[in-house]
Amino acid sequence: MSSLGLTHSGGTHVAKRILVTDDAMFMRVTLKNILTKNGFEVAGEATNGREAVDLYRTLKPDAVTMDITMPEMDGISAVKEIRKIDPNARIIMCTAMGQKNMVIEAVSAGAKDFIVKPFQPEKVVEAVQKVCG
Amino acid sequence: MSMRVEYINPFLQASFSVLETVLGKTPTKGELGMRPNVFTSQQCNVITGVTGKIQGQVIYGMSLITADRIASMMIGQPIRTFDQLAASAIAELGNMITGNAMALLAEAGYVCDITPPTIVRGANVKISTLNIPALIIPVTLDQGLLELTVSLQEK
Repeated sequence: MSSLGLTHSGGTHVAKRILVTDDAMFMRVTLKNILTKNGFEVAGEATNGREAVDLYRTLKPDAVTMDITMPEMDGISAVKEIRKIDPNARIIMCTAMGQKNMVIEAVSAGAKDFIVKPFQPEKVVEAVQKVCG
Repeated sequence: MSMRVEYINPFLQASFSVLETVLGKTPTKGELGMRPNVFTSQQCNVITGVTGKIQGQVIYGMSLITADRIASMMIGQPIRTFDQLAASAIAELGNMITGNAMALLAEAGYVCDITPPTIVRGANVKISTLNIPALIIPVTLDQGLLELTVSLQEK
């Protein structure tokens, strides 16, 4: 396997599809660059929690990166909504706020991992790889 | 007119660690100053809000040239014009510092939340009508001066 995000299935490589959620264009671009460089496919980009829930329903991605502080709907509420649609949804929080209460709230809402910004690209790749199994 | 040091240190600590990670170099702290209200004389300002046990605003002010240089560094290539992506990078820098400070504030017993950052361009802006005194923390970077205006009070 050459690239990290690729899995072998029936002779063809299928990239894992990721939904990126962040209200900051800069973060979406950064995450997209990291993910595509490492063999993942960015299935969609959501700019708030509401969009993430809607896009999750239509795109059915393999994993989601989720910011917390966003307009319309915050990331924790979005995790809860997505887990109602798909109890097995694999969501990684990706936020500037790393306080314990936030981590606990996210994990109890159903998030699988928690990355604090600013992050090293490897940290994102590792987390996405891990949740994609 | 006083602001508790417990509110300030988290921002000082968070700004140093975030700036070091994002820009790859340790900044230098200048002389702290005080203003009777939230006022900025900088050309480019990222305004972040804090809500919860303590509330108020933290503003990251810089010149347009400094904003261009920081955005270029964050994006990984020189920017031609200060476009939406550049503005988003600068806003995210403020968001990351205020966000990181929240973990340190929580450890000190002040559990708070932040509001999404906004960018205001244009000097001599009075940001808030509240007369909460503001502490000014100048931070020197390779890219220029970054001025933190911290204006917080207990709810």
